[in-house]
Amino acid sequence: MVTRIKPNPALSVITLGLVIGVLLLLHPLPAEAESSESASQIPVPNPGTQLWRDVRNRTVTTPEPEPRKVPPQVLVKDLWQQIQGGESDITGRTQSQGVDAGVLINTRGEQWRNFRMRTLVPYTGYLLGGVLVIIVLFYVLRGRIVISGGRSGIKVPRFNVSQRTVHWVVATTFVLLAVTGIILLLGRLTLKPFLGGETFSSVAIATKTIHDFVGPVFGVALVAQFFLFVRGNLPSFKVDLAWLLKGGGMFGGHASSYCYNAGEKMWFWLAMLGGLLVVVTGLVLDFPIFGQDRGMMAFSHVVHTISAVIILAVALGHIYMGTIAVEGAFEGMATGYCDANWAKEHHDLWYDKVKAGSEEKKPSSP
Amino acid sequence: MARMKFYVDAERCIECNGCVTACKNENNVPWGVNRRRVVTIKDGEVGERSLSVACMHCSDAPCAAVCPVDCFYTTDDGVVLHDKDICIGCGYCFIACPFGAPQFPESGAFSTRGKMDKCTFCAGGPVETGSAEEQRKYGANRLADGKLPICAEMCATKALLAGDANVLSDIYRKRVVNRGRSVLDWGVQYQNAGLRKSSGLSGQATSSD
Repeated sequence: MVTRIKPNPALSVITLGLVIGVLLLLHPLPAEAESSESASQIPVPNPGTQLWRDVRNRTVTTPEPEPRKVPPQVLVKDLWQQIQGGESDITGRTQSQGVDAGVLINTRGEQWRNFRMRTLVPYTGYLLGGVLVIIVLFYVLRGRIVISGGRSGIKVPRFNVSQRTVHWVVATTFVLLAVTGIILLLGRLTLKPFLGGETFSSVAIATKTIHDFVGPVFGVALVAQFFLFVRGNLPSFKVDLAWLLKGGGMFGGHASSYCYNAGEKMWFWLAMLGGLLVVVTGLVLDFPIFGQDRGMMAFSHVVHTISAVIILAVALGHIYMGTIAVEGAFEGMATGYCDANWAKEHHDLWYDKVKAGSEEKKPSSP
Repeated sequence: MARMKFYVDAERCIECNGCVTACKNENNVPWGVNRRRVVTIKDGEVGERSLSVACMHCSDAPCAAVCPVDCFYTTDDGVVLHDKDICIGCGYCFIACPFGAPQFPESGAFSTRGKMDKCTFCAGGPVETGSAEEQRKYGANRLADGKLPICAEMCATKALLAGDANVLSDIYRKRVVNRGRSVLDWGVQYQNAGLRKSSGLSGQATSSD
């Protein structure tokens, strides 16, 4: 409801006058124009003034901004070519905690697989088979080498108790390791077809356990054997060379020798140096808890196998020589004493030395 | 019947490790063993790529070749499996595998490793399908139920694919074609695309130095 207010003429005039007056008073008055001469200087210096004066006068140049660093173009195809090419093992980050879990593709694996399956396995077979054939042929053609002049019945001390014990420990562990090692290398091809999968697996588990536990024992015994036999195995070049040139007297004739002949010395050094390789790499393989990566394991495996197979091949010869080949050879290592005629025939220079010092005889001197 | 394969799309993998977790959860995997792992190359640098790696079920499997007891076999689907009862734990398969797929639960002296464990493509093992023994030894047998491996099913970005090789090839082909088309605007072939070029940034990923 609108209430009508009676217009009051006087009030209207006064209100209107007030409004106009206020508006007039508040209206912005035109500013007095200032000329540059008559205006007073502003006391606050303008820092930009001098700069712009210099720029206008070309006395100051701003330095060239540094060229923006554009990251080198990464061609993804190059990355993948590297990985597929297999020249380098590309390593990355991963949450998995394995030793080389960060390696994307392990190229050593294929190299090792090819070498083991195409070279190691077949050539081990050929080598060991060949050695066995040669030994059999030698026995068939040459026969047993008997003591010419028969046994004298006089016993000469040759190996003391320490030497014999250590030798037989080394020999036993070696045979165990060799048999189990060959099963691990060749068993799948030769033994498994006869035994079948499950039986062969049981055999293989026992094989691996024996090989892994006997290995370090062999290592310790081999070191002991080195120190017990090294003196007699130091080379005497003239005598050893003469022995070699005469073929050791194996095909007739006589070759002189000190305590150990050149053939035995060669076997000693092969077994010791090769054995060192086998034991060291064997320990690397047997204790994979020190951060060995796959490349190290593959390399160790290859060195281990090659050394072991070569030693085994010559060991077959050594075993033949020490048992069947020569009459009177085995009893030396079995009893510690050898026959005097045998000594005269095979190790005459040693026999002379032993006879000369036989009054105050120390059994361990070569 | 085509072979079963894995395919990892490095352009899509975001390193979430979902595949790793899914596999470990589903398959009763021994402690310390990761059947699947995600490897990130050039981490933090330009061109960083991640890949999910597990057994690739090779046609000519190096693991099967070097095994001294021949415990591996390949199924009709092309899945490479092994028999834990026959395995002697020698570790040769691990040395030979390019991808580090075979792994061992123990790491002991005298080369004691326990039985080898690896990705089975969720296809179990050589024991009765669906039995408790299979679950305990080899993990899930999803293939027998007509399912695909859990890692690929779980992949957040479908970077990891698993299944019939023909189907996978088809998907791969489509992805390549689509990606090739998507960089046509930028005037560069897909195979030469390092950074994603875009006008105004002069080939940089960001505008900061």
